Amino acid sequence: MSRSSSLGRWVPAIAIPALIVTGALVVPLQASASSDLPDQTPRQLLEFAASANVPALSGTIDQTSNLGLPDLSALGSVAGGAGGSGSSGSGGTGLSSVIDLATGSHTARVFLDGGNARVQVMDHLAERDVIRTADSAWFYSSGDQTAVHVALPAHDGTGDTARTAPDGTWTPQVLAEKFLSEADVSTSVTVGEDTTVAGRSAYTLVLTPKDTATLIASVTIAIDSETGLPLSVAVDAGADSPALEVAFSQLTIGAPDAALFDFTPPAGTTVTEQALPTKAEIQAKKDGSQKDGSQKDGATRNGAEASGKSAASAAEQPTVIGTGWATIVSVPASAVPAEMLTSPLLDTLTQPVDGGRVFSTAVANVLLTTDGRVFAGSVPVDALLAAAAGR
Amino acid sequence: MSAAPPRRLGLALLGTEICVLFQRKRTWAMLLALAAVPVLIAIAVRISSSPRPGRGPAFLDQVSQNGLFVAVTGLVVAIPLFLPLTVGVVAGDTIAGEASNGMLRYLLIAPAGRVRLLWVKYVAAAVFCVAATLTVVIAGLLIGLILFPVGDVTLLSGDTITVAEAIPRFLAIAAYVTVSLLGLSAIGLFFSTLTDVPVGAMAATIVLAVVSQILGALPQLDWLHPWLFSTYWLGFTDILRQPVSWESFGDNALLQGGYILVFGALAYGRFLTKDILS
Repeated sequence: MSRSSSLGRWVPAIAIPALIVTGALVVPLQASASSDLPDQTPRQLLEFAASANVPALSGTIDQTSNLGLPDLSALGSVAGGAGGSGSSGSGGTGLSSVIDLATGSHTARVFLDGGNARVQVMDHLAERDVIRTADSAWFYSSGDQTAVHVALPAHDGTGDTARTAPDGTWTPQVLAEKFLSEADVSTSVTVGEDTTVAGRSAYTLVLTPKDTATLIASVTIAIDSETGLPLSVAVDAGADSPALEVAFSQLTIGAPDAALFDFTPPAGTTVTEQALPTKAEIQAKKDGSQKDGSQKDGATRNGAEASGKSAASAAEQPTVIGTGWATIVSVPASAVPAEMLTSPLLDTLTQPVDGGRVFSTAVANVLLTTDGRVFAGSVPVDALLAAAAGR
Repeated sequence: MSAAPPRRLGLALLGTEICVLFQRKRTWAMLLALAAVPVLIAIAVRISSSPRPGRGPAFLDQVSQNGLFVAVTGLVVAIPLFLPLTVGVVAGDTIAGEASNGMLRYLLIAPAGRVRLLWVKYVAAAVFCVAATLTVVIAGLLIGLILFPVGDVTLLSGDTITVAEAIPRFLAIAAYVTVSLLGLSAIGLFFSTLTDVPVGAMAATIVLAVVSQILGALPQLDWLHPWLFSTYWLGFTDILRQPVSWESFGDNALLQGGYILVFGALAYGRFLTKDILS
């Protein structure tokens, strides 16, 4: 065997990895290659987006968070207490569910058909489903095999999933003009480079805060060039990759299989029936929710969460400091859910600062003062401390 | 590439190779060990109280309600270690095994060029991947039928499908797992061309399978994860969603194909330039 032919035998071993690496680099570039669409002014684009009417679709949505938080999936069960389930993400308290969404990435499939909707969060070896039809809503978690059923009032069924204007007078033109005039004070709205999302050419709308006091550098929204449907939203906080990104990775316009919206909980599932709470119940639950730190099932958890939020708006109004992007929301001590302050996650997640503890992410900061008040905003920690001291 | 040899000879060689593989006691011992995985799971669930949801391997809590899930639980348990172990033994043995017992020289004297030998050895290893996966699935289904009630299958999405609808899904899962192991087989084939000591190639293959999974578990290395051959190994559960999510199947097949090409080319380069002394 001559030396040259011996070297020739190694050609595939060198060429194939080179081809694969080239392919891996080129294919994503082509997928996001900017398409050449007719130019639009921000106003035309907003009108177009506001007139979008896509009643039926099925698609896959990828969500990635890059908020500068540690991966706390292992701590999820700590937050959930002894009853927390082992599978990541499906157990835990409301707080850890939020943290689960704020760290790492998630994939969900979405099916929409008029008033019917189904969202499937595809977890590792598990799945969480939300199925909403005209008269009921189901929450199903395969990890702990629980289901929650909420019967909805009949008149409620058609309103919010269909992308209709809230009022007949709100034409797309009016909406676009109103948005632009209100946004103009704080935000410069521009049309960015055309892009491709989920294989569809899309316009991009870039919202850049004029206020430099905020952490957010820009918000980019991709709008499908055919239908006007928003295809992706990315929040940029100055880092290399977006701090938050939600984007379709696959999208089909058209009605999905109707059987998808026909949900019957499987045998062996713990089903909790839950009525929509009335105002009196919310007040009653508020008292109960104070000691409801370790939840027993999904129903109590959702109940506690809902009541925590509603009670805050009913009794102790959070105050708003500032305007536009640098707005700070201040919640008085009495309106802060006790669950949030007693969670063992709190010490792990927050850093001590002079005057309290700070939960810091790339897009927002939350200050928990020593006297129990909460200040939150998309501003640096110093601004929150100043707001806390000023009151 | 060398001139295409007569097709019949290649098939005959492949037939012989597969016969030799399945005449070995070692092959049958490994298949029996794989079959024991779902059987032991089923017996453990049967004699103990039914496990709580969220405890133990995924789907374990479903087993007592539906025996068919023994097969899925068996695969979840077998794919991180047991399946790579057996595939590593078979793939690592392919060339090095012949070299160590002095057969390689005689195999190459016969009119069966090196390329064809490499190809035949790889296909035989792939056939073992099919056999290994089907062993776990079929053993799981059989023991599930014997020990537990069998009925409509609950999917991850909460929908239920009939047994008749479920069987194609279980076969698709078996296909997914088989495809998952093909990349590892190609790596084993390459290692096997590097040495005349089969145990070395087997150990290297198995160690790499474990290392790949450890790297896959480290969130700090998430840029590397899409390139690891074990990335999609547990993605076969996407077939148990409603509707079936084929995305991970396609991604997995593409990734494994890349590994087959790269390590196939490396094995080709190494084996065709190697001095065969034994």
